[in-house]
Amino acid sequence: MTRKPIVFVALAVALTLGASALAGSTRATGDPGITPTSILLGGTVPLSGVASAYSAVAVGASAYFKYVNAKGGVGGRQINYKYLDDTYNPAQTVQLTRQLVEQDKVFAIFNTLGTETNLAIRPYLNQLKVPQLFAASGDTSFGADAATYPQTIGFFPSYQAEGWALGQYMRKSHPKAKIAVIAQNDSYGRDLLVGLNRGLGGGVAKVVAAQNYEVTASDVGSQIAKLKSSGADTLAIFATPQFAIQSYVFANKLGWKPFVITNAVSSASNIMLLASEGGQNKTVLGSVSVVFLKDPTDPKWSKDPAIALYRTILARYAKGANAKDVYHVYGMAVAYATVNLLKRLGKNPTRAGLIAAVDSMNITDDPFLLPGIAIKTGPGDHFPLSQMYFQQYAKTGWKQFGSLVSYKG
Amino acid sequence: MRRTATSAGLFAALVVAIAVLPKFLTDFRAQQFAYVAVYLVALIGLNVLTGYTGQMSLGHGAFMAVGGYTTAILMTDHGIKDLWTIPAAAVVAGAAGFLFGLPALRLTGLYLALATFAIAVATPAVIKKFEGFTGGGSGKNLFGVKELTGGIAPVHVLGWKLNFNNWLYYLCWTVALVLYVVAWLLLRGRTGRAFRAVRDSETAALSSGVSLARYKTLAFGVSAAYAGVAGSLFAIATTYVNPDTFPVQLSIFLLVGVVVGGLGSLTGLIAGAIFIEFLPLWAQDISKSPGAPGVVYGVILIGVIFLLPTGAAGLLRRVASLFRGR
Repeated sequence: MTRKPIVFVALAVALTLGASALAGSTRATGDPGITPTSILLGGTVPLSGVASAYSAVAVGASAYFKYVNAKGGVGGRQINYKYLDDTYNPAQTVQLTRQLVEQDKVFAIFNTLGTETNLAIRPYLNQLKVPQLFAASGDTSFGADAATYPQTIGFFPSYQAEGWALGQYMRKSHPKAKIAVIAQNDSYGRDLLVGLNRGLGGGVAKVVAAQNYEVTASDVGSQIAKLKSSGADTLAIFATPQFAIQSYVFANKLGWKPFVITNAVSSASNIMLLASEGGQNKTVLGSVSVVFLKDPTDPKWSKDPAIALYRTILARYAKGANAKDVYHVYGMAVAYATVNLLKRLGKNPTRAGLIAAVDSMNITDDPFLLPGIAIKTGPGDHFPLSQMYFQQYAKTGWKQFGSLVSYKG
Repeated sequence: MRRTATSAGLFAALVVAIAVLPKFLTDFRAQQFAYVAVYLVALIGLNVLTGYTGQMSLGHGAFMAVGGYTTAILMTDHGIKDLWTIPAAAVVAGAAGFLFGLPALRLTGLYLALATFAIAVATPAVIKKFEGFTGGGSGKNLFGVKELTGGIAPVHVLGWKLNFNNWLYYLCWTVALVLYVVAWLLLRGRTGRAFRAVRDSETAALSSGVSLARYKTLAFGVSAAYAGVAGSLFAIATTYVNPDTFPVQLSIFLLVGVVVGGLGSLTGLIAGAIFIEFLPLWAQDISKSPGAPGVVYGVILIGVIFLLPTGAAGLLRRVASLFRGR
């Protein structure tokens, strides 16, 4: 114990040294992430864990950027897109986003996937004035809070818009429907339900029963049984993939054959295929959902130049990626919009310039979106997509029908 | 006395190394090392319980959640400065651990592991259930809240200007080193002996007059209090809590960290904490295809356990005995 004083001296010296290391770093002119030959974007997606299927949105976007780079990039700059694995855990999203901003010095955060993950980094990015471009979530707040968080913008139609469109459809096509709703117990499920009720607009068709489930639950069997006993003739599934499949399966097991309406997230083709239990489960047939992307499995687009380009890009720049996965198409659609934005920034792209461009988007030629769907924003309007079509599930897959619907928030 | 002096000398060297480390790190790396300190606190706590007292816990992520939420709720809803919420988190989580320790007295070995695992699984759902209190799935964001000391503006400490990352680094390491010493003092004395007696043979401990109930619940309480402090620091560093920030995997990672660091030893735990913080990042650098980081992580973990069955502490002991020429 005789060496104790030495410890304190050492400690004091150490603290002094440590503190003197904290001198400010020098700042180069121009915004981070921009060099004469490159633009760096970064974001997080779940590459592992329960939600890893969603990582296709990054794979698709990355492949599209590589294709653009091969053709010379944007204004002579190559677009580099660095995406990291946050395992769908917001704490990881925060750490990795700070890494992208502070260490990798990205120009903007792009295409980060998930609602809570994007909520977790939103105040940080807005205070630092780093654009949070095209958050991959339909949470209404990313569009609605544009005044508070001007650096943040979502991409796909808000969950309220989707619910509204389905409500409108029910009101017109099934005016006497009694609707039972199974919804995830979070803002995602709630937004959809709010939208549905708004779309029904107090007509005769109405929601007669609603059941929630926790995202951590193991199954939704009891909820479906309760909904069946409510006497409803229509089932609205506002769930994530696993629970959407279960809803179909349990309804079938209980001998309930409702007409089903469902939202985009829980109705990808591969989900429907699983839910159909190899053709055994007839409940899936006739289901109605909304759609805004070209579905690569829809024979209607088999000769479409954009889907042909999609297949070529994926084969060349994302080897081994499943071309049937519509999330890849989403990635390319969002990458297309990004390239369009970057082109508008001119010779010296800045973050402020990017946000100004975000506030005045009018892209009508995104080839990966369904014809007629435009990407439109204005100051204070951060809902890029608010148009969609309906689709109905048949034995051969989803079939788009009807005319374009536009949501006015 | 000579051993104590050597230990003190080594500890001083460690403190110096930690204090000057940011000089050689990029700003951002300092933040990652702050997380190492956070995990170190949790690992010390878990080692008190698992390594020293022999009680398995697969639920320490839940006690971290209790600490993290204590901090977040006190800061956002009660206007309490972040630093003052750290002891509060220790008390709340410690109480939770103590209370859990009472029924856990009846459980041993695998059954205790399962019971603690159940806590880890149930915690996110419970947090979501009480939405008005906890913020539900959307969680609580602390960035820009005035109770948060760090932020975009630099922090002034004793005349020094620290940016956010360095502030986190020095805050977390100060707490971690203080708690390290506290654990060392606790474990080297009478209490530590009792803990080890319980671990080695409950019958023998009982016949020597060691109260099993008292020391097991004490170990649970101390251990959970450490986890609570770790959770509190985690919330301050991450500036965000929601149920998914304390997933089931966190509890498992902590156990992995203790095993990698070395059960029943404090020195190796820094290696365990580094392992928890950096291995997932390294795994990503090796491969990015979906699902691959998890596989790489698993392979490296198996390799480490295979090569270092006694953890980093065991390796240190072997190196030390080489120097002593034995």
